Amino acid sequence: MTGGSAGLGAACVRWLAGRGFDVVSLDRDPPQPDAQGASGCDSRTGAVRHHQCDLADRDALDQALKTLVDEEPFDLVVLNAGISAAGRFEDIDTATQLAVLRINTEAPMVIAARLLGAKAVNPGAAMLFVSSLSHFTGYPGAAGYAASKDALAVYAKSMRKAAKARGVSITVAFPGPLRTAHAERYAPKGADASKRMDPDQAAHAILSDAISGRKTSIPGMPNRTFAIIGRLAPKPVTALMRRLIYAKLEG
Amino acid sequence: MIGAKPRRMLITGGNAGIGLALAKKLAGRHQLLLSGRKPHADVADLIPAGAAYVVADQSDPQASAQALVDGVRELGWDGLDNAVLNAGLGMAAVDGIDTTEAIRRTLDVNLAAAIAQARALYPLLEKTKGTLTFVGSVAHKGSATIPAYAASKAGLQGLARALRSEWSGRVSVQIVHPGPTKTEIHDKAGYDPGPMRALFLDVGDVAKMMASAIATRRSPVTVSWVRYLNGGAFTGRRL
Repeated sequence: MTGGSAGLGAACVRWLAGRGFDVVSLDRDPPQPDAQGASGCDSRTGAVRHHQCDLADRDALDQALKTLVDEEPFDLVVLNAGISAAGRFEDIDTATQLAVLRINTEAPMVIAARLLGAKAVNPGAAMLFVSSLSHFTGYPGAAGYAASKDALAVYAKSMRKAAKARGVSITVAFPGPLRTAHAERYAPKGADASKRMDPDQAAHAILSDAISGRKTSIPGMPNRTFAIIGRLAPKPVTALMRRLIYAKLEG
Repeated sequence: MIGAKPRRMLITGGNAGIGLALAKKLAGRHQLLLSGRKPHADVADLIPAGAAYVVADQSDPQASAQALVDGVRELGWDGLDNAVLNAGLGMAAVDGIDTTEAIRRTLDVNLAAAIAQARALYPLLEKTKGTLTFVGSVAHKGSATIPAYAASKAGLQGLARALRSEWSGRVSVQIVHPGPTKTEIHDKAGYDPGPMRALFLDVGDVAKMMASAIATRRSPVTVSWVRYLNGGAFTGRRL
């Protein structure tokens, strides 16, 4: 699990630990105090280990991977860690834009490639890439973030053949807005948080889909509807996103 | 367009492949600044006469963006009418899995550099209400042969559609996706297309279709056999 310390990642860790998975979480930050308590009802609770690693730091990631490929092979890999940068593209400094790309795209690509290459994933295992619902539309107001998540989704799809040859299934998740600190930080001011999905609910949906080997997972009916409309009419939906998100940034 | 003013155009990766073909096509009418990784002396005989050249190595995205801005400034240009962010590389994945080095280099050169350059060139393009063209690839929907390359081009597609919306009315943003073209990119990538190469489009035809795509400012545009067989290399708007 990457990014297991907060938000959707923490919800995934709770879900997995509650079902008896032993979890290694790669995250820059230590787990939030309330993030660990297992929410499941199974008799056995899995062990959760935090492995400190800044995914924007290439050397640190290479070091962490050296350790990870020597562990017992994984049954599930969840590439969830992500950051955003919201605002007009020209107002966000380049270093931030490039950090978004490193953490959201480059790090999960490298982790997936190395784990598959080193056979550090069991045959029959699942690999879950967390992209974003923005993949189905344009995302004015977070152009660099949108680019990072589109790239990740297409990488995951491109890797299906190589993964399948090693007995591993690949699932791409496209979660919509969640009730997490991440969304709080990047949503336009005055946005209604109650409309966002509960991260535990989203974690349940995407992990169930990954374990059953589904190709894609879009948690929540409203999000699935949005994805379909976005696919059919990308330009009007992008224009709508501009009004809903970008116009509020300018104001 | 009779009487149209010559444009001040930047083409990255203008010393080889599609970028060079585009430069050759446009050099007669427009003022060009080309960029590449190689020193000027190595490419002086290749690039069209009259075109300016600046070294910008995209494996350092931020430095490459600065080099382009400096190059524009040295020419005394106060704005840019067109920026064509064309430079890119591919590396074939052995056994379907890219090396760590290939992933990082491909993302830096194809995507991170384009992000840094788009941001750095924005004030110059805004001044003239110019056009920013990203060069994608038909592989942007996914490819098991070149996963990292496909991902980098998908990132450009996402960037272009967001920026096209953000900058509407200020800078026209578009992405053009060329299909397989007869250039050196496949050899450089360590990929042998074999007899399939005979089916690739001629680089001159692709350059012609790209030029008319740039003139229309539409996005996204796919430059492939479908367009070619519809006369795309002979009809359409001219820059």
